[in-house]
Parts: sequence; C-alpha cells; structure tokens
Amino acid sequence: MRKTRLLAALLLFLLLTFPLWGSAYFVGRIFTPALFFGIIALSLSLLAGYGGMVSLAQMTLAGLAGYGYGYLTITLGQPWWIGILAGLAVATLAALVFGLIAVRSTGIYFLMITVALGMVVYALANQNRSIFGGHTGILGIRAPELFGHSLVERTIFYYLCLAIGLTTYGFVRYLAGTPFGLALQALRDDPRRLSTLGYNVALHRVAAFTLSGFLAGIGGLLLVWYNGAISPTTIDLTRLINILVIAVIGGLAYAEGAFLGALVFVLVTNFASSFTQRFNTVIGLTFLAIVLFSPEGLSGIALRLWSLLRRTLLARLAPSRHTGL
Amino acid sequence: MSWPQFVTVTLNGLTLAALYFIVAIGFTLIFGVLRVVNLAHGSLYLFGGYLGWSVADRTGSWVLGAVAALFVTALAGLLLQLGLLRRIHGQELREALVTIGVSIVAADLMLARWGGFTYDFSPPEVITGGLRIPLLDIGYPRYRLFVLAFAIALGLILWFVLARTRLGITVRAAIDDRDMVAAVGIDVQRLFALMFAVGAGLAGLAGVIGGSVLSISSGEDARYLLASLIVVIVGGMGSLPGTAVAAVLVALVEQYSLALFPTYAAIVSFLLMVVVLALRPQGLFGRPA
Repeated sequence: MRKTRLLAALLLFLLLTFPLWGSAYFVGRIFTPALFFGIIALSLSLLAGYGGMVSLAQMTLAGLAGYGYGYLTITLGQPWWIGILAGLAVATLAALVFGLIAVRSTGIYFLMITVALGMVVYALANQNRSIFGGHTGILGIRAPELFGHSLVERTIFYYLCLAIGLTTYGFVRYLAGTPFGLALQALRDDPRRLSTLGYNVALHRVAAFTLSGFLAGIGGLLLVWYNGAISPTTIDLTRLINILVIAVIGGLAYAEGAFLGALVFVLVTNFASSFTQRFNTVIGLTFLAIVLFSPEGLSGIALRLWSLLRRTLLARLAPSRHTGL
Repeated sequence: MSWPQFVTVTLNGLTLAALYFIVAIGFTLIFGVLRVVNLAHGSLYLFGGYLGWSVADRTGSWVLGAVAALFVTALAGLLLQLGLLRRIHGQELREALVTIGVSIVAADLMLARWGGFTYDFSPPEVITGGLRIPLLDIGYPRYRLFVLAFAIALGLILWFVLARTRLGITVRAAIDDRDMVAAVGIDVQRLFALMFAVGAGLAGLAGVIGGSVLSISSGEDARYLLASLIVVIVGGMGSLPGTAVAAVLVALVEQYSLALFPTYAAIVSFLLMVVVLALRPQGLFGRPA
C-alpha cells in the first residue's frame, strides 16, 4: 500500500506545482476544463459505481446550476453569493425531483428516463424566454470577484478547480466507507436482500441522486464561470452523452476515472481537432472500444498494468520474498 | 381557440402522432424482442432522411428515395446487431452504451457527408398540395393526411403480422419469454437480427416521411429519439397498441400546449411522462417488469 500512497503524493505534488512549470495553455485550457468536467462526471461515478444507476441527466443538473446562477446574477442583478446558493439549490432540487420520478426504474429503464428528463429540460430551455433566455440563453455571466481578482483568472481558477476537485473526490471516496455508502453498494448488488434487511431502497436511491445533483451543480457553476454564458447547447443531447463518455472512458466504477476520463476527453477534443475535423468520430470509436473490450475503462487498464508491473518487479528484485507489500 | 383553429390543431396533433408512431414503433419492436434500448434510433432516422434525399435528388423519384432509405437503414441495423451487439447480448446496459457510441460516430460522419444544411423533399404531386375540408371550410396540406393514412396502414399491417402469422406469434412469444422461445428450438438469433433490421428500416423510412413534413437537418436525430423515448415510456415498452395510443396522446398534448402556452409546452410533455410513471411505472400498456 505504501507505494500507492507514494504515487498519490507525487501526483498531488505535480498537480499543485503545475502552474509553475506547465504551459499556460495546458493549465488554462486542458487541466482546468478536465477538472470541472471531472467533477460533473464524478457525480455520475458516484451514482453508477456505488448505486448502479447510470444517469444521462448529470449535465442537465450541472446546466441547471449554471442557469440558476445566471438568472439570479444577470437577470435579477443579485450578488454572486446568492447566485451560487441559488444555483446549487436548483441543481439539488431538480435532482430530488428527477430522483423521485426515476427511482422506481433500474438499469436501462433508468437510463431511458434520465435521458428523456434531460432532453425535456433542453426543450424547455430552448422555448422559454423569460427565465432561460430561449435559444440565446444567458450571456455575460461573470465569476465572483474576491480582493480585486476575478476567480476565473487562469492560475486562480486552476487552483480553485483543483481544490474543489480534490475535495469532491475525497468526499466520494470517503462516502464509500460510510454506512450510507455501504448501503448504496449493497443496493447495487442486491436490492431485494437489502429491503428485506429493513432498508428503504427507494429512499437511498433518491438520496444518492440528490447528492449527485449537488455535486453536478458544483461542476456546473465552474463550467458557467469558465464559459461566461449558458445556452441550451450546453445541455443538448451531445453534451449529456459526453459526460457518460468521460466517465466510461475513465472507468465508470472509479472515482479517479471521472478525472482521468475528462483529461483524455479534453486532450482528444483539443488535439485531434488539429489534425482531423472528425474528432468526434475518434471519441466515439474510443468509447466503443472501451465499452466492447475493457468495461473497466482506463482506470481498470491502469490498475491491471500497475499490479502486473509490481508483480514482475517484485519477482525480479526479491525472488525470496513474495509476501511483502 | 376558435372552432377551425381547434380542428387544425387537432389534425396537426394526429398527423404528428402518425409520424411519432412510425418512428417509435421500430424502437418498440427492437426493445420488446431484444431488450436493447437503441439510442442510435434517432441516428437511423436522420441517416434514412439524408440517404432518401440523396437518392431522390439523383433519381428524381421520392418513392425510390423512401425505398432506398428503408432498405439501407435496415442493412445498417442488421450490421449493428450482428457486428457489435450480438457478442454482448444480454448485457443490457452495455448494449445501450454501444448504441450511444454508434450514435456519436454516426452523427459526426453524417455531418461530414451532408453538412449542416437543411434538405427539403419534394414528394409526388398526388400527395402534395392543399385539401379543403368540407363543412369547416379550412385548408389542410394533403401530405400530412397521407402520413396519417400511412401510419394507420402500417399499424394495421403490423397488427396483422403480429396477430395472425407464424412470425408474429414467434415475435410475441419472444417478447413474453425469450428463453422459452429459444428452448423450443426457434433460432432466436435469426429472429433478433430480423427484428433489428425491421426496426431500423422503419426508422430510416420515417426519416424520409417525417423529413418531407418539414425538412431534414442535423439535430433531428435528437428530436426524434426523444419522441420515441417518451412515446415508449408512456405507452409501455414493447407494446404495439401502447405505442399507438401513446403516440396520439403525446402528440395531441404537445400540439394543444404549443397552441395554448407555447413557452411551457416542454413542461407539459414532461408532466405527462411523470404522471404515467407515477401511476403506472411500466407504462400504459406495459406489463410489470
């Protein structure tokens, strides 16, 4: 276990010092988006990995937080902290409602209902002018300013996203060991047995979904600050699917996978577009390959490689001590 | 709403229901028999529309375009089933994810081939032009009534096949209990491939028929996927009468609310879905899972 911890510490050190040695482009345009998309995808990993619920509505929830923030700060002219509270409240409440609607279904039915819910919100945002601003959406959204600095200045925003990303990641990892998290995992594996034990299955599902809405909302606020605007395009079907693609590429069952997948996704969309216009085909084919050949995603591949490497190293270096580590 | 306006909106609703039915019935058949949520269904619709337009443009025949769309998308569906889905059969979620992957690639490739333009069809003159409805003295496009008639005919044919033929009995048996159908010696893999081809072909045909009501352009795939999803969720997964009833219900609700309070029409479809799910989670005509 010590080696894993060492690796984690090294990774953390690299991430913390990244703005000092990384190029401005990588800090601002690759890692920062990867972090907030990772947070939104993390809300899906929480649902899918622990609760066995694959939702396509996570981007919708994130987008609703953005709309909430934009509506309060731009349309109503309220200060930013009210916008933040409202945005998170909207995302969490919407998740509660979605959860109440979808919770009686599982598996592909759950997937279908969440995608339908997401697309209904898209249609509403597109048609409604008074709150959602119709097809144009809400423009000119500004991030909060603290001590004369806007939070979206490159380095500040990177550290903000990193801090929130690490916190949410730690929270989701911590949750796995709590009674609630354990109940969720049991519910994923055998809902009937859990309900026999006296657990309220539906309540746990709704609670998990609501929590995931809050997480997605945090990611959504960062996203809307980064973009400075929100429109129905932010929550159209392609964007909803992108979050699933990110989580699946990284490894749906792993919290790390959300961020790893987001990084790969942002890298591919940025760099594949410089030598081919068909970068969506690249992403689609990558996604297909992962689904067909390695359902554990990149995290699964990495873990397998890591244990293979460790075993070979151990065998080479200390052939007499198999039980170390 | 005045009386003629009411009639027009109702007719709009019914003809839209006809279109929804043609799109969603393929989705229902595939879901009912294979338990595959084909999230590439919208892509097949769009592909059929584009392809039908190109063929009609080259040959000058709308009918030929529709026929080409039907067969080529059926072939595409067959390839999707045999090439990708068959090997992971039974893993429902993974199958749904594969269809999502296919829809991403398909959307991108279609954008490359047909671009972001809007394509208009010109159906044969027999079914275009206006029609005056007697007594009410209002005009109505003949093509939309053709769509309605076509959907009714398609529904009757499907009903006949399902209720009266050997194939239909096998399909209904497979919807009820796939394992038992396999156990009595029926080649279910062939049945699955056939159903996927039929469902996909109907989506492609719907692309031409629906594209001729308005037009066809990128983004329509999402719209008709949503329509199929809501119709199938409301009607009950895998039920033919459920799909028909739900198509009418969803389309009428959509058209009336668009006429009455345009900016909140999406909320009404949403509420319809919520009410049905709250009262009957399996859909109006679905069996409890």
